[in-house]
Amino acid sequence: MSRRLRNILIAGAAAAAVFTVVTYYLNGWPQPPGPAIYVITPTLVLLAYLGVGLAAWQRYPAERIGLLFTMAGYAWFLPSLTQLHYPLPFTVGIVSGALYQAVLAHLALAWPYGRLRSRVDRVAVTVNYSFNVGNNVVQMLFWNPRTNGCGTACPANLLLAHSSSRLYSTTGTVFSVTGVCITAAIAALIAWHWRSARGYARQAMTSLIWVAIPIAAYIAVLGIPGNLGIPGLVLYGIGPLILIAAPAAYAISMFRARTARRAVGAALVDLEPGPSPARLRDALARALGDPTLQLAFRIPERGGYQDTSDQIVDPARLPAGRMLTELDAAGNAVLVYHELMQHEPELVKVTVTAASLALEHARLQAEVEAQLEQVRASRTRIVEAGDAERRRLERDLHDGAQQRLVTLSLAIGMARSQAAANPELAVLLETAAAEAQAAITELRELARGIHPAVLTETGLAGAIQALAERSPVATTITAVPASRYPAQIEATAYFVVSEALANVAKHAAASSTRVTIRELTGRLVVQVSDDGPGGARPEGGSGLRGLADRVAAAGGALRIESPPGSGTHLEADIPCP
Amino acid sequence: MAGFTVAEAASGAEATQTARIIRPRLVLLDIQLPDFDGFEVARRLAAQEDKPVIVLTSTREASDYGGQIAASPAAGFLPKDQLSGAALIAFLTRRPR
Repeated sequence: MSRRLRNILIAGAAAAAVFTVVTYYLNGWPQPPGPAIYVITPTLVLLAYLGVGLAAWQRYPAERIGLLFTMAGYAWFLPSLTQLHYPLPFTVGIVSGALYQAVLAHLALAWPYGRLRSRVDRVAVTVNYSFNVGNNVVQMLFWNPRTNGCGTACPANLLLAHSSSRLYSTTGTVFSVTGVCITAAIAALIAWHWRSARGYARQAMTSLIWVAIPIAAYIAVLGIPGNLGIPGLVLYGIGPLILIAAPAAYAISMFRARTARRAVGAALVDLEPGPSPARLRDALARALGDPTLQLAFRIPERGGYQDTSDQIVDPARLPAGRMLTELDAAGNAVLVYHELMQHEPELVKVTVTAASLALEHARLQAEVEAQLEQVRASRTRIVEAGDAERRRLERDLHDGAQQRLVTLSLAIGMARSQAAANPELAVLLETAAAEAQAAITELRELARGIHPAVLTETGLAGAIQALAERSPVATTITAVPASRYPAQIEATAYFVVSEALANVAKHAAASSTRVTIRELTGRLVVQVSDDGPGGARPEGGSGLRGLADRVAAAGGALRIESPPGSGTHLEADIPCP
Repeated sequence: MAGFTVAEAASGAEATQTARIIRPRLVLLDIQLPDFDGFEVARRLAAQEDKPVIVLTSTREASDYGGQIAASPAAGFLPKDQLSGAALIAFLTRRPR
C-alpha cells in the first residue's frame, strides 16, 4: 500500500469518527443528546474495523482481508449519514442501514485471507450484497418518513415512489423470511469451511467460529421484531461491542503469526543437538500449530520422498491444499505444509531455514560420529595388529633362537660330562654353559617383555599370577576369572596390571598391592590398589598415558584415584562381549 | 642313559599308547606337543595303572604356565636347558607324591 493511500485511509477513519461524535452532539441542539454510550461504542467499532483493516492491509498487501475490514468499517459508518438532515445523505444512510452485515458475511466467508474459495461462495456473497441493499431500496419505494414514524423530524426520502404503509410492511415480512434463508445458507457455508479445514487453516477457522457465533446472534436479535425485549441501552449502547470481536480475533492471529516465528526459533533451541527428523518435525508442527506438517526425505531407491511417519510424498502429485518447499539445494529433504501457510511467507521462510539448519546440524553430527567410529575402529585394529605382531615375535624368538640356545646348552652339558679328564676344557665348557644359560635368561626376559607367553598359554589367571609372583611388592590377587577372553581384551587387562604393578614398584613406596579382575555383564573390571602414599598424577608419566590409550582403544576407560595419604587406586573398565 | 631302557614318542597320542605297552617308570614329557599339550598327556598317563613318574619339560619357564604345572599330576618340571640324566634320576629317588 502506498504511503498516500495509507494517509488517506487514516484521515478517512479519523474523519468518520469525528463525524459520528460531532453529529451525535449537534443533533437536537440545544437539547442534550442521549447517554454518551450511544456514541462511544459505535465509534469504537468504527475505529476497530478501520484500524485492523489498515494494519492488515499494510502487513499483507497481497491479501484482501485488510480491504474487507476497511469496507466493514465504512459500511458500519454509512447509516450515521442519516444524522445529516438532508435528503441525499439521509436516503443513502437508510438504504445502507444493514450493509455492514453483508460485508461481515463476506469477511467470514473469505476468512482468514480475504479470498473467496469457490464459485458457491462468490454467488452467496453477491446474492447477499444485492439482497441487503435491494430489499432496503424496494422498501424505500413505499416508505414515507412523514407518515411512517418520523414526522417532520426526517428529511425527504428521495426513493419514495408510492407512499404505502401496507406495501411497506408486506415487503418487510417477505424480505425478513428471505433474509433468514440467505443468512442460514451463509452460516452453513462457513460451518463447512470450518469442518473441511485441516491443520494450519483449522486454527484460523476455529477462531472465526468463536467470533462469528456471538456476532450472528447479536445481528439476529437486531432483526427480530421487539428484539426479545432487550432494552435499547443494552442493544444499541453495549451490543455493538460484540462486533469488535472480529477485528480483535484478527489482530490476535496477526500477533500469533509473529510469535509463531519466534516459537519456531525457540522450538529449535529447545531441541537437543542433532535431533532426529521425527522430533524436529514434531517441534516445528507444535510451533506452527499445524499437526499436518510433513518433513520428508528423498528415498533414492523408490524415486520419491517419505515423511517421518513413513508416508510417501510425491512432489508431482501433492494432495490439494498442500505446498512443498525444498530444504536444501539438492532437494534431499522437503517440507510439506498447508497452502494457507504461504500467506505467511516470513513464517515459511523462518521454518524452512530452521528446519534446514537443524537437518544440516544433524547431518554434520552424523558425519562426525561416523568418522569418529571409523577412527575408533582403526585404533582398535592398530592395537590388535600390534598385539598380534608381538605375539608372533615372541613365538619366533622362542621357537628359533631360544630353541637353538637350549640345544646348545644341552650339548655343552653333554660335553662337560665327557671332559672330566681335561680340567682346562672342563673350565672352558663351564664358562660356555654359564654364558649359554645367561643368554637363555636374557632372551626369555626380552620375549616376555614383547609378549607374555603365559598369557597366550593360560589366559589371565596364570598370567596375573605370574605377574604377582615376579612383583617386588607383595601382591594379593583377590579375584581373577578363570575363563578365556578375546586376545585383545586379555592383553589389555594384562598390560593394565603389569604397568600398574611396575608403577607401584617404581614410585609408590607401597608395602602391598591388591589386584582384582571381575567380569560384570558385558565388561571386565580390572582394579589395582596399593597402600602407598598416593598423590599419583594420572596426566603424568607416559606409561599411564599409554595405558589409558590402550584401554580406550579397546573401547574402555581408565580411572585413577590417588588422594594423598590413601594409596593409589587404578580401575580399568573394558567392554567384553 | 646307561642302565635304562628308553623309548620315544613324537606326539601326545603316541606317548599315551607307548606308555600303555611298555609301562615306563619315568616319563619326560614336553609340554608343547603337535597334537594335545603335555598337561593333557600327563592326565591320561596318571589315569593308567602303574602310573609313571612324570617330569614336564619345556623351553619355556615354569612361570610361563601359571599354575598349570602345580595343578597337573606331574612330579615336577625341568626347563630344557637344565635337563640332565642326574636331574631326572633325582625325581625317581624322591618319594612319590
